[in-house]
Amino acid sequence: MMLELTKSLALGFLFGWTLHKAGLTHYARIVNVYRLRDLTVIRFMLTALVIGGFAIQAGLDLGFAARAPIPMTAMLANLVGGVVFGIGMATAGYCPGTIVAEAGEGRLDAWIAGLSGLLVGAIVFGLLQPHLMPVLARIGAVGRVTVAELAGASPWLVLLVFGQVVTLVLVRVARVRPAS
Amino acid sequence: MPHRGSPAQVLRERDDSAPISATGGTRHARKASVADAHNPDRQVSLRWTIALVVLALIVLARSGYAQCPSTASSCTTCHEIQGQRPVSRQPWHVDHGFGDLCASCHAGDPVAPEEALAHVGLRPPLADPIAACASCHADDHGQRAERYRTVVAAAPPVSGQGPPAASAPTGRMADRVLALVAALLCIPLFVVVRRQLREPRRPMRAGLRDKLWSPYVAGGLLGLVVAFSEVICGRPIAVSGAFDKLAAYAGGWLFPDSQYYAHVMTPGITWQVWLIVGVLGGSFASSKLSGEARLRWLPDTQWQPRFGASRRRRFAIAFGGAMLVQIGAGIAGGCTSGLAISGGAVLAPAAFLFMAGMFAGGIPTAWLWYRGRGA
Repeated sequence: MMLELTKSLALGFLFGWTLHKAGLTHYARIVNVYRLRDLTVIRFMLTALVIGGFAIQAGLDLGFAARAPIPMTAMLANLVGGVVFGIGMATAGYCPGTIVAEAGEGRLDAWIAGLSGLLVGAIVFGLLQPHLMPVLARIGAVGRVTVAELAGASPWLVLLVFGQVVTLVLVRVARVRPAS
Repeated sequence: MPHRGSPAQVLRERDDSAPISATGGTRHARKASVADAHNPDRQVSLRWTIALVVLALIVLARSGYAQCPSTASSCTTCHEIQGQRPVSRQPWHVDHGFGDLCASCHAGDPVAPEEALAHVGLRPPLADPIAACASCHADDHGQRAERYRTVVAAAPPVSGQGPPAASAPTGRMADRVLALVAALLCIPLFVVVRRQLREPRRPMRAGLRDKLWSPYVAGGLLGLVVAFSEVICGRPIAVSGAFDKLAAYAGGWLFPDSQYYAHVMTPGITWQVWLIVGVLGGSFASSKLSGEARLRWLPDTQWQPRFGASRRRRFAIAFGGAMLVQIGAGIAGGCTSGLAISGGAVLAPAAFLFMAGMFAGGIPTAWLWYRGRGA
């Protein structure tokens, strides 16, 4: 039990560390993604996606696990949830991870308003869930599948093309320089 | 193209060693960052950081994998996470996929770790709809069972049927197309990367005391952390779930009749909660080392020119935004970490739909808050 607890704490510690070192504990950094003025969050996330994707596939092929946990794809729920999430994120400059990381940095708005907002939001969702989810979760429900499984392709090839596209996008974004 | 809203400005900010954090630095931190900027040993510091992290991950991995604490039932652990005889994608499984509900309908022992024990008392749900369905659907269990029976009659499910394996010709076709795309993409990649290499290299900051790492270094590290969590522990790096689990204490007490709190979201101090305790510690350690940890009431930049110095105003808007964020994560099935990053890394379509939704909601919202203001 102690070991399990240590693992969760250690993984969380590294996650919090990367959030702070990437500079995501700032209201402006988060909000300016949506104003297309500061794409740090996009660089951070896409890099994590590609590196994580290759590392996960390598881990699976090396036999550490048969399958990684795959989130449920229910198209309407994923999209609608994303829209509500984006509205909240662009309003407060928070996402759940950065609220906790901001709290760790000593920000009292995150301690007081952010954490309580998340808890109250969780309760509100608990009340909405029986009314919303039976409808939302059914439309466009594909189940716990990956893009590679849907296309019937090798996950390595999907990752390769995905990595190439991400590299092109990131390099292109980074190449833009001020006119001066 | 580089007007005010272009990403170019971002880069200038980063090159100026990020004014966002610089404004709030203590004297010690400024000294440290100046020292770092001219420190030839910084590369060593980067190597040490990476070495320490890799070492920590190896130690953790060796200490017995696949034993991480999991809140998933043993049904989900074997049939979904480990993929042994995955469940069919018939409507009843899709309909009830929002929670870890296997045992509610199929009975058995959802906490028994071994197959023989876990399968004691398993029942075919449709054989006895009252036992299988009525605890949640007291009023209309008959109708619901009937609807599923018609599906069974139309296409009898094979027991233990998994996701349909791609037929060989389709698989080969998709692989060929992807390989062709990958080959073609090498051309623009070559051009772009060569151009990038010719430009003066900016120093990569990744020392323990640096205020800001290159987002590529931080993101790459996060990618490894996510992979460790997904493969070795069999669970995503997910934050929003912890708040669902904690709020369920209050929710179950406030709404004792709620099926959601009784069956779907049961309270608990689970791995998710320990994960966010870790996040708190990691962010504190990082900010302490770079001299940025201190109590403050308002965001450092951009907030005050737009919203003023009122704490109450910041708290109200932050509270409302955080609420929406948690509700959105609940609807979508995860947040930026649990769905977008962890789900995207395993190539789940859900992650990419969620990110599309985030921008569809976030861009108009940010525009509304800042329209007509330069701040």
